[in-house]
Amino acid sequence: MPATVEIAVFWPFFVYFGCVIVLVAGMVGVSYVLGSRHWERATGAPFESGIVTTGSARVGVPANFYLVAMLFVIFDLESVFLFAWAAVVRQVGWTGYVGACVFIVMMAAALVYLWRVGALEGR
Amino acid sequence: MTGVELILLLPLIVLSGAAVAVMLAIAVRRNYLAAFLLTLLGFVLTIMAVALSPGGPQRNVTALFVFDDFARFFIGLITGAGLFVAVLAFDYFRQQRGQFEEFFIMLLGATFGCAVLVASRHFASLFLGLEILSVSLYAMIAYSRDREISTEAGLKYLILAGVSAAFLVFGMALVYAQTGALEFSRMPYITASPDEPLDIIVLAGFGMIIVGIGFKLALVPFHLWTPDVYQGAPAPVTAFIATASKGAVFALLLRLFAQTDVAFYPPLYVTFVILAIASMLFGSWLALLQNNMKRILAYSSIAHLGFLLVAFMGRGHIQSTAAAFYLTAYFVTTLGAFGIVSLLSPGERDAEWIEDYRGLFWRRPFVAVVFSVMIFSLAGIPLTGGFVGKVLVILAGEQAAQWALVVVLVTASAISLFYYVRVVGIMYMPAEAGGADRPALPGLSLQGGGALACLTGLLVLLGVYPGPFLDLVRDMVTTVYAGVLPR
Repeated sequence: MPATVEIAVFWPFFVYFGCVIVLVAGMVGVSYVLGSRHWERATGAPFESGIVTTGSARVGVPANFYLVAMLFVIFDLESVFLFAWAAVVRQVGWTGYVGACVFIVMMAAALVYLWRVGALEGR
Repeated sequence: MTGVELILLLPLIVLSGAAVAVMLAIAVRRNYLAAFLLTLLGFVLTIMAVALSPGGPQRNVTALFVFDDFARFFIGLITGAGLFVAVLAFDYFRQQRGQFEEFFIMLLGATFGCAVLVASRHFASLFLGLEILSVSLYAMIAYSRDREISTEAGLKYLILAGVSAAFLVFGMALVYAQTGALEFSRMPYITASPDEPLDIIVLAGFGMIIVGIGFKLALVPFHLWTPDVYQGAPAPVTAFIATASKGAVFALLLRLFAQTDVAFYPPLYVTFVILAIASMLFGSWLALLQNNMKRILAYSSIAHLGFLLVAFMGRGHIQSTAAAFYLTAYFVTTLGAFGIVSLLSPGERDAEWIEDYRGLFWRRPFVAVVFSVMIFSLAGIPLTGGFVGKVLVILAGEQAAQWALVVVLVTASAISLFYYVRVVGIMYMPAEAGGADRPALPGLSLQGGGALACLTGLLVLLGVYPGPFLDLVRDMVTTVYAGVLPR
């Protein structure tokens, strides 16, 4: 596609892109001009609905959520591959079946491992 | 998929099966020795599968893999490296507190990734192999979790490997967009005649692929991660990164550019020449400033990859033979050098400072002599494999009329002699009196000493009687050119 044709087809995109730039620049620029500049005792402090903050924001959070989320992602992704296989199960025939079986056995082995090392216990 | 194809795939199947078997063994009963022995069994079976698999010309297995003598040779070499790393890691982690059984799963996985790389004939298997290798390496590098430096190295490698993988994939996408080909063999001659300039998009694509591969090979200027990661990673892992990981990517580079001639279009050719010169000079020069053995060896490995690129800069059998021989000698030497660092490391830290080696000869004559042989080979001193390799590389560069590269190679070798000799000199100095505050170096185990003796024997054999091995390499290299039509 020659460059002139591309511009002819995509001109609304370029206009949109320009509008985004103008809008964002305008919002930042206007608030820079109109915004008040002051420096009080509590200006730099985080705003917590008017309540004075207590303690540090760096508190230890149990990582169990993370573990559960990881396991979910791993085993969820497995089913994605199986869906892809299910869509073409007749075309790929026995070769595909054996391949899917190998995949499922490997994942089952991973599940056995996770269970045995105690990764599934929600402590 | 036929029976023959399954037999050809057997090395890959055995390697991945071994990883699953070790995982299940850990699930049944956690035992360090059992995991180690199972890993050794997996590596030995893989080597047997490689030896028994039918050799000869290129045999394509699906669109993704090719098994020729080239692939068999490098799978064998990499599996051998994995075997030695397993032995080193067994002694290394045994002295530390914690659970280290899973390390062997990662090691098998990383070796599997390397094997996929050297047998791939398609961008998809290239990328999959590289990712299997990288993901295993992230965990292996950060395996000593209680050491801050190890975690830091793992994180650095994670981020930089991610960025380089992005470059690689984008490059592949550009090449695909323009040529419509993902198989190496379908893009042999992208332009109609060698004088025609390369299409700008293909050029950009291959440029980005070179960035991705250059990162893995730690070529200057993509080398910045190397010293930190080498220093932070546990010593056996460093040995693996320096040998198997780099060797597999280099073998892939050889195959990619044996089957396509894009490397010899002027812009890409000049890029490779610059990478080679910069790697040789910076690698040799920066090592002079180091006091840390692992960092010295890291810079030395950067320089050695530069030397290897000199052999790569000609599209012929002599060049590829030289590269493959040099790579083998480099494997043996680097495994030996990092093996000694690993075996001398007490549990709480690595024996990485050069002061740890002061007077080593008077305390551990065997280890000091082995280390001297390894260092002589790195420096390219006769009677070692490194010398024969360097002679072959210089011959290859001379055949390709790359005089600038050959001159830089000789200069860089001369510079590197300074730090190699310094390390050897320190080992033969009298042990100082104030050395009592350093923790005692652990004793050498039977398998550790055996591994070192074996590597030293191999290295001297390669240096004294390289003939049979050279013939093997020459025959092996011809298969990678099979099926490539002359223009």
